[in-house]
Amino acid sequence: MKIKKSFRSYKAWVARPGGIGISSGIAMMATLLILGVLVPVFGNRSDAFVGDPFARPSLKYPFGLDQLGRDMFSRVFNAVGVDLGVAFLGVTIPFVIGTIIGILLGLARNRYFLSTVGSIIDGINAFPLLIIAIAAITFLGPGLKSVIIILSLTNWARYARIARTKAVVVAQQNYIEAARTLGYPRWRIIRKHLAPNVSAETIAYALSDFILVITVVAGLSFLGLAARPPAAEWGSMIADGRIFIGQAWWLVIFPGLALCWAAVSLSFIVEGLFRRDRGV
Amino acid sequence: MKKGNQLSRKIFGRFLRAIVVAFWVMVLSFALIRIAPGDPASTKLGIGAEKEAIDLLRKQLHIGGNPISQFFSYLGDLIHGNLGASLQTGVKVVDIINRTLPLTIYLILLSTLCALLLSIPIGTFIGWSGKGPLVYGFRGITAVFLATPNFFIAMVGILFFSVRHNWAPVFGYDTAFPKNLHYLWLPVVVNTIIMTSVISRVLYSSVTETKDQEFVETGIIRGVSGRRFFWFYILKPSLAPTVVLLSYMMGTMLGATVILETIFSLPGIGREMVGAVLTSDYPLVQGILLYFGAITVFLSFMGDLIAYLLDRRVKI
Amino acid sequence: MSAEPLVVIDDLKIDVRLTRANRLPIVDTATFSIDRGEIIGLIGESGSGKTMLCRALVGTLGRRGAYIAGGKLTFDGIDLVTAKGSAWADIRGKRIGYVPQSALAGPNPVMTIGAQLEESILQDKEFSKGNVKARAIELLNIVQIRRPEVVMHQYQHELSGGMKQRVMIACAIAQQPELIVADEPTTGLDVTVQAEIMRLLLDIRSEFKTSIILVSHDLPLVNQICDEIVVMHAGSTVEKISSRDITRANHPYTRALYDSRIDLVEPKGELTTINGQPPTVGNWPVGCRFSERCNFVEDRCRLPQVLPIIPIGPNGFSTCLRFNELEK
Repeated sequence: MKIKKSFRSYKAWVARPGGIGISSGIAMMATLLILGVLVPVFGNRSDAFVGDPFARPSLKYPFGLDQLGRDMFSRVFNAVGVDLGVAFLGVTIPFVIGTIIGILLGLARNRYFLSTVGSIIDGINAFPLLIIAIAAITFLGPGLKSVIIILSLTNWARYARIARTKAVVVAQQNYIEAARTLGYPRWRIIRKHLAPNVSAETIAYALSDFILVITVVAGLSFLGLAARPPAAEWGSMIADGRIFIGQAWWLVIFPGLALCWAAVSLSFIVEGLFRRDRGV
Repeated sequence: MKKGNQLSRKIFGRFLRAIVVAFWVMVLSFALIRIAPGDPASTKLGIGAEKEAIDLLRKQLHIGGNPISQFFSYLGDLIHGNLGASLQTGVKVVDIINRTLPLTIYLILLSTLCALLLSIPIGTFIGWSGKGPLVYGFRGITAVFLATPNFFIAMVGILFFSVRHNWAPVFGYDTAFPKNLHYLWLPVVVNTIIMTSVISRVLYSSVTETKDQEFVETGIIRGVSGRRFFWFYILKPSLAPTVVLLSYMMGTMLGATVILETIFSLPGIGREMVGAVLTSDYPLVQGILLYFGAITVFLSFMGDLIAYLLDRRVKI
Repeated sequence: MSAEPLVVIDDLKIDVRLTRANRLPIVDTATFSIDRGEIIGLIGESGSGKTMLCRALVGTLGRRGAYIAGGKLTFDGIDLVTAKGSAWADIRGKRIGYVPQSALAGPNPVMTIGAQLEESILQDKEFSKGNVKARAIELLNIVQIRRPEVVMHQYQHELSGGMKQRVMIACAIAQQPELIVADEPTTGLDVTVQAEIMRLLLDIRSEFKTSIILVSHDLPLVNQICDEIVVMHAGSTVEKISSRDITRANHPYTRALYDSRIDLVEPKGELTTINGQPPTVGNWPVGCRFSERCNFVEDRCRLPQVLPIIPIGPNGFSTCLRFNELEK
């Protein structure tokens, strides 16, 4: 009885705008994450040579074997943690930094200071993310750690811009002015009013930024600038398989599909949330 | 007239902002080398290098010593069009960029043109009269392409057109006009797919918003029809967000092209940049970065300007 | 007044398509006519179907998924129910002008005011291109816009609400139409601006002998300039009455509407409101649809039935079942 009822309310939830997108996106992401946990624990080691090189996909090795005879299935799902983990850090760190800076800028009053910082932020944002990441890797050296550092150093500016715009709007609202007049401590105003409102906005951007960052991380690895072989990472797996694409398509297609799967599931969630928010 | 003044004042204001942002772009590409741990010059030349050689390289890279005076020497070089020379080949950075940039720009412009030719009919048609399965299909397909990395689309394309059918070469290039298309068409298709899914989607949602506005109804009742209606009552009021996005997308395409040029071995600025990164050719990376930043600033200025000229409701 | 009315609406029904099989009536039993040179006020609360009735007159029901499901609608003898594209092309913008709802619309934001006026003027294919500009300025003068040469080059966001509405009227009268449909033309404007716009409409009528259908929810305002008042409630016309006789309205709904006005000249001390909410589309009561809110309701009002259209005076009618007992 209770199950039936909760199923009905779930159906009603899905029926609202964006419900299909959100639920299918979450289901896709959950499948990927579950396999990403189970396969490394129960499957073959990603660096173990288990059979003949270039063995075609079969029941035993659903994604086939690579040029060294490693199991592609376990390599693809071993990479979930690396790819999503790096992208997660590459989103959360700039998100936190950017939101805090944006809120502080929203409260600042000095016009010259504001316009200077604003144009620096615009300057950082002027560079396409992939380009500035590639350039920075020249000086930091290739590696996943460099990717996280460079994302933290540059990507905050996009969050700061969004957060500042929102913080200015919130700070002008009457209740904030009232709280200020009543002499509430500044940190309390920030914590109670500004932070929740502003972070709602930046979290929304973070979700769509996640898609971008996943592809940037994989793209850098593809160029050989982030994860290096023999690490199991989708971008570098595609780059490795590229040379053999004529004889073994599965070396490229399966890591690529996993990458798409992750990005598309997020894209469905973002799209669904956007539709829900607008109610269409 | 007062009216004209207001228009040019707004545009001038936006232009000034672009200049200021361009200044910071320059500062950032100057400063980026300073995030390197240790001394890039001695890292580059190795442990056994002579002191004079290291000092010379430091001077070339504008590092070491007082950062402010270094910045002004960098600025002075820049004003004279001197971005230094490649550490690998000794060729002037400006010459390398002038040689490789045209191909990249050509590739991006060609993709943009194709994307516009596809997006405008698709976006307006589905936005204006699409319903039910067509809209869901459109949203689903664009959501997938939007999230797919370009190098994966490129690999699938290569698998199909180069490996299976030998229709598209994976390396080599010919600069002469009709022949170059043979090498460029697949990269252009990849770019076009991604740009089309982004642009048509934004246009679609602007058109659905425009469609329900009262002035459109008034236009129909006024008796406006045909091409005039399509332009003034459907497309033009919906175009501003698309133009702004397009200018942003073209900037992003610079990044995407780096990967595509590497995959298809095209001698553009993107492949040059990857090569420079892998060989730690600092002046070349800095120079390319500066160009990319400047191009993006210019594109976003143009995007805002065109959007404003199309639709005065846009804030610039 | 000529014998044949300009617009005849008889038992008109408008449905909206919700899904392929599901239809919802939004207007039914709408009946009235408009004579040449007459100003008709179409009054009703929101959701009463008055806007849809206007859309039927200008042929844009399809945009909202609605269509005429039955009844008669003619304009100067032309059947608008079956009218096709080419017939509409001759009517829209030429013989029927349209002034949109002020709060929502206004001129096209991506065209200058001048361009829009010229567009309206050039609907007449024979109009000489050289005179367009002069004619546009003439139109702006008619709607009493100061400095028309400047306004010609402006965009809508540079104009005030009243100015926008004047421009819309100028566009509507460009072809000297026989009928102007004005859908809540002054909602959301200042009271003084409202009065100016209303006066302008009156001037246009007396100058060009145009019929005007003026849609509003503000009965006292509209009553000042209209010849006849048609009251709509829940998708049907409940009463047509000459504006002179408004104080002697027969239908309880009309009375309630008139009594609920805020009278600034002679404050009554107490605000009258109409009981309850207007019935929503799809939830109309059976019998008289006003029965649930009516102070004079009897049991027989609630019986399922076709309401009579009882002629009162030369042009008016009422659909109140108790019209005899309530007649003053």
